[in-house]
Formats: sequence, C-alpha cells, structure tokens
Amino acid sequence: MTFPYKGYAGYYLDIDLTKGKMHKKELEKDWARLYLGGTGVAARILWDRTGPNTNPLGPDNVLVVGTGPLTGSLFSPSGRMMFAARGPLTGVWAESHVGGYLGPEIKYSGFDFIIFNGRSKKPVYLSLRDGSAELLDASHLWGKETNVTTQMIREDHKDPTLKTGVIGPAGENGVLYGSIIVDFYRAAGRTGLGTVLGSKNVKGIAASGAQGLEVHDMDKYLEANEVEMERLRDPIWTDSLSSLRKYGTTDLVAIINEIGRLPTKNHWTGFYEDADDIGPETIADKYRIAQEACHGCAVGCKYIIRVNKGKYKTEPIGGPEYETIMAFGSNCLNNDIESVFYLGKRCDLLGMDTISCGKSIGFAMELFEKGIITTKDTDGLDLSWGNAEAQAALVEKIAKREGFGKILANGVRAAAETIGGDAWKYAVHVKGLEASGQDPRAHQSIGLTYATNVRGADHLRSLSSLEELGYPDIVIQRFGKDKADAILDIMSPEHKGQLVWDMEDLYAIVDSAVICKYGTMWPPVYYFDTFVNVIPPLTGMEEWSDPKHVRMTGERISHLRRAYNHRLGVTRKEETLPPRLLKEPMPTGPAKGGLPDLDYMLDDYYKFRGCDRETGLPKETKLKELGLDFVVKELKPKGLTK
Amino acid sequence: MRSFLAIDLQKCTGCNNCELACSAAHTKSFNPRRSRIQILKDEVRNLIVPMVCLQCEDPLCEPACPTGAISYNEKDTLFVHSHVCIGCMNCVTACVYGGIEIDPRTLKAVKCDMCWGDPACAKACEYGAISMVEAKEEGFIVRRENVDLAFQKIGIKTEEVSE
Repeated sequence: MTFPYKGYAGYYLDIDLTKGKMHKKELEKDWARLYLGGTGVAARILWDRTGPNTNPLGPDNVLVVGTGPLTGSLFSPSGRMMFAARGPLTGVWAESHVGGYLGPEIKYSGFDFIIFNGRSKKPVYLSLRDGSAELLDASHLWGKETNVTTQMIREDHKDPTLKTGVIGPAGENGVLYGSIIVDFYRAAGRTGLGTVLGSKNVKGIAASGAQGLEVHDMDKYLEANEVEMERLRDPIWTDSLSSLRKYGTTDLVAIINEIGRLPTKNHWTGFYEDADDIGPETIADKYRIAQEACHGCAVGCKYIIRVNKGKYKTEPIGGPEYETIMAFGSNCLNNDIESVFYLGKRCDLLGMDTISCGKSIGFAMELFEKGIITTKDTDGLDLSWGNAEAQAALVEKIAKREGFGKILANGVRAAAETIGGDAWKYAVHVKGLEASGQDPRAHQSIGLTYATNVRGADHLRSLSSLEELGYPDIVIQRFGKDKADAILDIMSPEHKGQLVWDMEDLYAIVDSAVICKYGTMWPPVYYFDTFVNVIPPLTGMEEWSDPKHVRMTGERISHLRRAYNHRLGVTRKEETLPPRLLKEPMPTGPAKGGLPDLDYMLDDYYKFRGCDRETGLPKETKLKELGLDFVVKELKPKGLTK
Repeated sequence: MRSFLAIDLQKCTGCNNCELACSAAHTKSFNPRRSRIQILKDEVRNLIVPMVCLQCEDPLCEPACPTGAISYNEKDTLFVHSHVCIGCMNCVTACVYGGIEIDPRTLKAVKCDMCWGDPACAKACEYGAISMVEAKEEGFIVRRENVDLAFQKIGIKTEEVSE
C-alpha cells in the first residue's frame, strides 16, 4: 500500500452498478491532503463525475458515501459519516450527514469511501466485511420498511452486530426527500439521497469489520485528544452538555421559542403558544426512558422513548430530534406530542426526511386554510391546522406517491408549481430545500446561512450559535473586541457576512473530518486549532500543523462546493430567501417586527468569500490561490469566474 | 489489593469509547472488535449491556486452558500469555459471563488485564459508568448488583438485590 497516511482505512470502493463490478482502489494522497475526507473529498469526486447534464435520479448520477480521518478514531463526537450526490429535490449540490455506528464500521471494514455509479438491474445491497465487498441480492428486502430491512439483513448474515444504512419504501418510490436510515433510528435525512440510492436499485449498505485503524503517533494523538476533551469538560460548558444529555435536542424547542425563532404555522411566525406541550420537560417527564450515544461520543444527545398506551403506543424507539418536533408539531400547530412521536417514527420506517415531509404538510395546511386547495384536492382529507390524523394519512400517501401525496412527495417548490396560483407564496424553501427549524426574522445570520448554504435552506453548513445563545468570550477570541457587540446583537446584520463565512469554512472541515456539529456548533468549543492539534498526530500529515493550511482547506472545500452549484447556474439571484422570510415582518412573539437585511449581509459575505458582489461568482485569483485551477479551467470559459 | 471493574448499566450510553480506549491501550489501534470490553447492543430489544471479565475469585477460564496460558500477574489479575495461547477457545467456552474472547486478528484469547492497575476504559468513559473497585465487601456488592442488572436486562431472572 502506498497511501501514506494513518487514521484512514486507506481504500475506497468504486462500484459500477450497471455492470455489477467493484473496484477496490487505494485512497488518493491528495484527497486527504487537500480535502481531508467527507464532504471535501465528495466535492472533488462529484466535481469530476457529475455536472449540468447529470440526471439526479438517472444512472449517470454518482452517490458518494464518505467518512473522514476522525471517524471512529476516538475523538468525540466522531461517530459520523456522510452521503453526497447531485440532489433530486433541489437539482444542486446535496449532502447529508448521520451519526450512529455505520460510519466507523465502514472504516473498520476497510474502506473510507464508497462511490456508487450507474444503476443495478435488480435490487442489491452492499455488504462490506474485513476488506472485501459484495453486492448481494435485495429482492426480498425491496418494499420493506427500514427496521424490518435492517433485521432481515442481520438475519441473512447471522450477525446481530452488523451496522447498516438502508432506504425505505419512500426512497424506492421516488419521493424526492427519501432518507437513509442508519442503525434503526438515525437518519441522513436531508436532500433526498435515499431516493438517489433507490434510483440505483440499491437498498442499502451493511458493514462489519475487525480491520481497525492505525494511528501515526498513538501517544501524541491520545494526548492531543485529551487536550480537546479538556476543552469540552471546561465548566463553562457543563450546562450545555447536561442539557444535551438530559433532553437531547428537544431542549431547543423551549430555548428557540423563547427567542421567537421556532417555526410555527408553516413559518408564519416564530412563537408557538403551546410549545410546552411538545417541549423538553413534557418529553423527559413522560416518555424518555434512556439515554444513548453515537459511536465514541461523549455528548450523548440521543434518547429513547416509549409510549405505553393510546393510539400512538410504541415499543422503545429513538426519540424525535428538535427538527422533527418542529416540523410536525409547531409548524403544523399540532401540540399532541404522542402524535409527533408517531409521525417521526413513520417517517423513519418509510425512509423520509422528517423536515421536508413535515414542512410539505404544513405548506398544504396553509393552502387549505387559504382556500387555495380544498378537500377535492386532498383526497377528502381535512387539512385543518393541528389535525394529526390527517398528517398521519398524508405521510403514508406521500411515501406511496399516491393521490395528493404524489404532489407533496416532490417538495414544496414543485408542489407550488403544480398547484399554481398563489401557492408559491407559502412555499418556504431555498433552492428547493424546505427550510429547517430556524427563522431569519429572529436571527439575522441564519438568513445569510439559508441563502448561501450550498444544499438549500438549512442551518447545518454555517449556523452561528454565538449570538443565538450568546457567547461573548468566544466572539471576542475569534473576531476581536471591536466587532463583538455587533456580532452578539442577534438582530444586527453587521459583520454577519464575516461570521457566516468563518462558520462555513469551519464546518467544511468538521464535515470532512467527519465529526458531529455538537462540540463545534453548540457548545462552540472546537475551532480550527482543534484540527491543527489532532490531525497531524493521527494522520502524519505535517501540513495540517500549519493553521493556514487548515483554514485554506476549509476555504477550498467551500469554494469547490459553491463552484459545483455555479456550474449548474446558481448565482446571487438564487442565493436568496423565500418571500415569507424576506418580506413579511415577524407577526408575533419575542422577535415581532423582525426582518433580515439579506443584501447587506450578502455583500459582506461575498467580500470575505472572495466573490463578485453583483453575481456571487468566485474571483479567479481566489480560486487559483486555493489551488482550484481545475475549477477555473472549467468555469472561466463559461463566464462563471470574475 | 486485587481489583475489578464495576459497570453501572444505568449510566452506559453504549458509545463504545471504552472499546476504543481498550483497543488503543492493547493493540495500538482503534479497533472495537479487539477490545477486552465489549458492548452488547440490540436496538430492537433496547439493550445496551457492557461485557467484561469479572475477575472471578474461582475462575472457570484458567483451569480450562490446556497450555497454562492464563495466569496471574503481579497485580493478582488473570491475564493471557499470548505466546503460550494456542487459540483453542476452551476458555471462551468455559466462561459463563463472556469475559474472555478470541482476538480476531491474532486468533489468540484475550481478556481484561485491568491495564495493570490503571484501566484505560474507566478513564475514557465520559459518563462515569466504569469504575475500578477493590476486592472487598463493598466492591463485591457493587459487582453483584451490576451483574444482576445485566442479567435482568438480557432477560435472565435473578433474585431481588438485597443490600
């Protein structure tokens, strides 16, 4: 083996599904050096293999399954992995990350990346074991829900310890936001990558391995790791960590409602009067039975619930995250938490993103209220706000693409086009991705995050918790005293371009490492210096001990993903917000009257990003500085550089 | 004094950090399958049960070994001399607690050796579920309670724990 770095398994699997052939290849040295892993490497692969002519659900699309050097390498929280492809819901760059145990297991089984090309003639699933790979028949699994699929795969191999990532009926049926469910109840939910797998006739991945990971300098790495753990153990973070351990992300329902940013009634407002009913205390008191953690994680935000009686009775399952509670709860004015558990569970079993699904239903409920659609359009369903039974019926219809569900299965952007009239006014999305659980009218910088996020209206590429929850010391450390007041003012657009630019590059590294956002986003402990500290002793890549190299890598990844979208036609015009979030002042709650000053923040952001202000396109000098000459070569003749 | 590990099931989140730390300490790599402590997990039954050698007073593994590979170290802890072990698995069969296993790479038996008095797993557990206790009355009680709880969780009925 000539791949020189440790911390990686050192191999990737290039699969031609059409021919049913697999090639095990050594990892490219430059992928690790210049893109680290995860999203960075996926961007490099997809730049080369997909483009404007790629049909997201055609055999020509390419799905990358990625891990990073920190995946499974003790660093906490590092039980993560990611998927990327050209997205079927948005048509642009799509990626989705997930925790659990599969990511580390893929590495222990001998691979860092898996690249799915083409389309299999019949349903298959990929089995990885100790350095070898097989495509196995999945005819018996096709059509099965995700939990049954997982159990059947384990049964097939007589191995109850197998880790899996599988799709459900929604991904098979072409619902544009089909998810990939990992280890029963963790989801790579967003952007419909489960549907890309489905379009390739791939039911999932199963991995088991005893290959293990070597470390460049174990003693130094354990020491570096301990330094980072000490940062996390700092008493200033005790409250954040105990909240995550006690409530998981459900605590956000209360915290976010308090600042008036909890999407309510299809994003009409940011304050939900009944938030307590679906909030952390209710869940912890009545339903939570255990705490869980992903592989190697010291945060442990996952929790298990059980509902003992009633029509939503359930055996122990993973409890819903904040986003699910928001999407089916406050966003649809449904304060029946047991029904929210049920809706989240059904989405997991059917393999559908809870955010896009819940938001599509909320959108339909608003159209129903406005009279734009009636029971004639909804197959007789009464889509009044808060009607949990109608929500449940719609979830099933969407997964089957049946009746009205067929329209909502395409997401709100396409559904608004199909329904016509004023429907578009209520479609809350950016680039076709339904907005997640934030609101720029109560938090300026999230507006910029939504607008510039390469995958659409979502917080996970650059959300800043620094002003959201208020961390003055961190802001001063990172941006200096002069800018601190403006940055900490949640409703000031001042310096938010710089803030989001900084976060985006930081998360680009986080998503390539691949680690969880907890510990970086909230509490905001890890920063660029974390990677300077841990990557060299883990991998042996000495360049990574230079903070400039780490920063530049973040920038390089951000620019490459942006360039991917520019090549598909995305410019400043598309980096915007839906009318509701841009022009309708927040009507109620603590953030009443708020509106984002998007243009101001975008100008600032483009300046820091090294992009042209008018168009948002990258400057040729910037791309060259980052070593992205291959991008210049392709974009420049098309007039897509400045 | 002799000591052993006590694991509080109520605190364990199944994060596998103990497995990572154990494999780092014993194999200089991150490889949960080679760890001496193993987390048994079954999502369907909502089970998370850590399994590790109980350091029995009257061990079953040691007399089952045909080559005498299992013997006490200076800390009075049983460990496996891997160059003497022939990988016959007699010890694995003998142990009723799943406390000794075959390393999938070396194909020799491995068991918890208490890291010669400073267990890596206990240090790595951020949830405080693993502690080292001394082999005297208090320690015996904690160990019995934990074993009882593990058995009950797996579905083996045990008598009520009395203090």
